[in-house]
Amino acid sequence: MNVILEARDIRYRYPGNPEAIKGISFHMRQGEKIALVGPNGAGKSTLLQMFNGMIRPDSGLMLFDKEPIRYDTRSLRQLRKRIGYVLQNPDRQIIAPTVYQDVAFGPANLRFDEQAIRNAVTLALRHVGLEGFERRPPHQLSGGEKKRVAIAGVLAMDPDVLVFDEPTSGLDPSGSEDIMELLDELNHEGKTIIISTHDVELAYPWADRAILLLDGRILQEDVPDVAFGNPDHVRMAHLSLPLLLELYIEMQKRGFSLPDKKPHTVLDMMHIIETLFQKTCCHARPGTITVCNVDLDNEESFLEGVSNRTGVSVGAMGTRAKQRAENSHIRLDFTYGVIDKCILRALLGEDSLILTTGSMVERVHKRVDDYGKESGIHITVTPSQPGKVKTTPESWERI
Amino acid sequence: MLETNLDSVAQQSAFRHINTGTKLILALGSLILCLISPSPVVPLISGIILSLVLIIPARTSPRLYGELLLGPAIFTIMSIVILLFILGGGDVIWRFNPVPWIDLSITTGAVKESILVLCRVFGCSVSLFFIALTTPLTDLFNGMKRIGIPIELIDLMMIIYRYIFIVIAQTVEIWHAQVMRLGYSRPMESIRSFSMLCGMLFISSWIAGEDLIHAMDSRCYDGIIPSLDQAEPVQIPSLILVMLYLSGLSGILLGMSTGVVALS
Repeated sequence: MNVILEARDIRYRYPGNPEAIKGISFHMRQGEKIALVGPNGAGKSTLLQMFNGMIRPDSGLMLFDKEPIRYDTRSLRQLRKRIGYVLQNPDRQIIAPTVYQDVAFGPANLRFDEQAIRNAVTLALRHVGLEGFERRPPHQLSGGEKKRVAIAGVLAMDPDVLVFDEPTSGLDPSGSEDIMELLDELNHEGKTIIISTHDVELAYPWADRAILLLDGRILQEDVPDVAFGNPDHVRMAHLSLPLLLELYIEMQKRGFSLPDKKPHTVLDMMHIIETLFQKTCCHARPGTITVCNVDLDNEESFLEGVSNRTGVSVGAMGTRAKQRAENSHIRLDFTYGVIDKCILRALLGEDSLILTTGSMVERVHKRVDDYGKESGIHITVTPSQPGKVKTTPESWERI
Repeated sequence: MLETNLDSVAQQSAFRHINTGTKLILALGSLILCLISPSPVVPLISGIILSLVLIIPARTSPRLYGELLLGPAIFTIMSIVILLFILGGGDVIWRFNPVPWIDLSITTGAVKESILVLCRVFGCSVSLFFIALTTPLTDLFNGMKRIGIPIELIDLMMIIYRYIFIVIAQTVEIWHAQVMRLGYSRPMESIRSFSMLCGMLFISSWIAGEDLIHAMDSRCYDGIIPSLDQAEPVQIPSLILVMLYLSGLSGILLGMSTGVVALS
């Protein structure tokens, strides 16, 4: 993957204060998901603001697309079109008096024509699940909705890189999970994403790479297993170990022979435990996972497809699928980590249904296949067929 | 907060989707007719009809509407008590003369004028409430742009409108924090707390202003704050109804004026 953003020994000092960034070098590849983790005052926000040229480092070099960032107005406009920045507090980011005007702000200033602005706004609002909110004033929205408006405002400019300063701060757990899922969805569509956060539980399974920042320096930069796997570093960075990782380390200390790959999800942990105790789930046949592409089904067949599966757990992946479920008054059992949760159900012999949109269908197949290869358990994934009551699970075997 | 309340009432009004121009013609038309009317009948009729329109088809809560009217009502009644004694003309209908140098009297002319003032205030207030309760400010900005108010002024108004609610929310937060720690328990304490509140608001507004510039810059600000593209189309039936109503009101006004002239 190409390196899209790079920092070479950058330093920065706020006027009259000690150095906030003390020589940081790192790079970001296209399509990566990076979590910048560290305590308050570690320099996370300052570093993030350097990515789109809001802060110019005192020394060192910032490169975007292998070119050094230039700080003249014209170059900054080009840079900011390609690197979208979402502030921590959406109230500070939302400028205009209505949702439409705010999302249209970027495209209008980039001199899109009227039709292009309208299309960009419609697409961005659809992406974040806020269709129909165009005329609403921001002060009437909830915290999560405001966050989504702020994200839509940046998405409307179609940037390649998205920078989020504390994307889940001030949100309830379910709102946080929704935002993380949205970030996943955006990454799946090819956007490079970097977030700053305190929430290790959310960052650990989500990130491709984690950067631990302490006192203006990088403490550790690696895949989350390694970055969060060093209890000393985690303690120094005023963080806590992710629960699954802590459990894994404690089991390791007690002499259990565990695989090298550390668990990222409950599913991974279950697999480790089952392998360890050589005990499989008591069900002879795993349940099936049915995938319903909400983009293809019309309203009637969609509702019929769901209502025929009473008693089956339903999960929705992606903003559009969740919105469709909400509009159709479908109670969702899972809204985050949906595929893993459905695999867990399947292992208990239960069927489940995943509502999702076009590009994500492939992801369900891939994740279930990967799990199958790893564990030797074959779980059937079938596309939803309206009117058909239940798909018969295929036989399965354990290798 | 009343400000938040009024705006959200307008957002939820059943008349929200009627063209802003049509609503403005109705409200401003009635306002002008109420102001120029020499008789209390026109403002009274206009006030009653617009109130009924606001409560029944526009589905404004009668309780909220009553509370809103209470403001101008209290103010007007207080003024009218004074006017009754100040204005003169006609026969004296009540006189109060406790001591030789105090002579308070109410005349028929003063009563007539006071009733006219009362009805005018009622008619004009209702006309203004009609706009406030059916048209959110965001729709008015669009209208202002169309009638050629300078764009810089509208942009400024839009940003102020956006931030009013944030400042209000912040004021309430700080105020609660002060009240919880007995900040307003004694008069001197209240003065100190209030000045601290103002200071804090100034500092936070300053920081918010800096963030606003950052937020605008990150989205490539180049002098444009886009306008809402979905203006409600003019609906001929509603426009005809408004015209009929205003013509009716003007007819009554003309009738009354000629009546008054004939009588005199």
